Amino acid sequence: MYYPITSGDHWRLLDFFRRPCITFLTEGMSAPASDLERDVELLRRIGDGDRLAFGRFYDHHSGLLFSIAVKILNDAGEAEDVLQEVFMQIWDKADSYNPVLGKPTSWLVTLARNRAIDRIRASQRRSRLLEQAAEEASVITDDSPSANETMYGKENAERIQSLMSELPADQKRAIELAFFSGLTQEEISKTLREPLGTVKARIRRGMLKLREKLEGFI
Amino acid sequence: MSEENLVEQASLYVLGVLTPEEVIVFESAMSRDAELRHLVDSLRNSRDAFAGSVPLVEPPPLLKQKIMARIDAERKVVAFPFQAGISKRLYNVMPWALAACLALLFGVSISYQKTLRNQNHEMVQQLSELNQMAISLRAESQGLKQAVETLQQTNRLENVRVGVLGSQLADAPKAVAVSLWDEKRQQGVFVAQNLKPLPADRDYQLWVIDPKYATPVSAGVFQVNEQGSAHVSFKANKPIESATKFAVTVEPKGGLPTPTLKNLVLIGG
Repeated sequence: MYYPITSGDHWRLLDFFRRPCITFLTEGMSAPASDLERDVELLRRIGDGDRLAFGRFYDHHSGLLFSIAVKILNDAGEAEDVLQEVFMQIWDKADSYNPVLGKPTSWLVTLARNRAIDRIRASQRRSRLLEQAAEEASVITDDSPSANETMYGKENAERIQSLMSELPADQKRAIELAFFSGLTQEEISKTLREPLGTVKARIRRGMLKLREKLEGFI
Repeated sequence: MSEENLVEQASLYVLGVLTPEEVIVFESAMSRDAELRHLVDSLRNSRDAFAGSVPLVEPPPLLKQKIMARIDAERKVVAFPFQAGISKRLYNVMPWALAACLALLFGVSISYQKTLRNQNHEMVQQLSELNQMAISLRAESQGLKQAVETLQQTNRLENVRVGVLGSQLADAPKAVAVSLWDEKRQQGVFVAQNLKPLPADRDYQLWVIDPKYATPVSAGVFQVNEQGSAHVSFKANKPIESATKFAVTVEPKGGLPTPTLKNLVLIGG
């Protein structure tokens, strides 16, 4: 038995398959500028009102930003709103991007994270989040493809994932809570039932270890 | 501030957990210290990789169009066609009763005109949105055309076999996949949607069918995410001369050397 694709599915499928297929077909075709140069150039064009550049920028980064928003909000609908807000902000403020303040990717990650955390703080979900944070085990244990694939490619993303798993669990947990939960330093300390100084030291050691391990990949 | 303290503050800064007061102090220190800025940059890169280690979730396909329509709407000022109000001068030469009737008629007319104006406004807005959507799709199509032209120029498409795989399952009729195989590079990419997540002791296995071999050639195993999607790069276990078809079966964890045909899930070429 063969089940053909119905006509109503065509657009949805085209959009779903388009990006990975084009990436596969075009990889290595020419000597492209680095991702950093490409992003800076796209932002410059977006600042000039170039919607095609905006579309390309969206294609490159939406997967990463949406994944981060879903992780923080645990709600795909709200993550969609965050993604819209972030990209509208990019459209409006692209010309205010300052390369001195970090890579475009870092800027975007910060925007998406802050927007998502603002939503948590604005809603009445804070106490629930505290409970959730206390109960939840390490969040990054999944074997499924990581959002890093959109930034570093499949092989490097898998390598990064493997290096991440070498990070001591207590340090990883402290960093996760700091970045994804929206908790304050004191709340993290309470959640982990450790003195604030210990939590800060864990974060410091974890971040340094992360930097050391990821050197050469990012 | 000690070295240790600076690294600690920098780590908390890039993770976004400094208090607003601490941020002001830290950014002030950063503006005076190039080495500290460099440290923050490197920690930010690590943070980005950490943030990116979450499971990949693709945004809904139509979200991009929605955002593009929003930026177009923002960019374009829609001229609202102004309709002059009806100016009527009633001559009070009629009896009061008739005047009241006319006043009522006038009121109804104004209200009707207002409704028409609202409808008109809504239609103008809808038209504008549709225009934006059309512009967005046209731009999208132009981008794709450019990509295809570049591909044709480099002869990349000549070596690529594209297969669309349809479902063989009554309980997952919408399962579908696209497989691209580059014969020159001997590697491919496989993207599937609407497949059912499998139990832990099972894997989906991808096969390349090449007439040169008596049995399909394994191209590895994969799992789908909670949404039933998968996106994998693959290589075949043997050199492929001509990939005429692709197939997916459900096999025991780790896969088998030959496919179990009764477990065929997707096939196509």
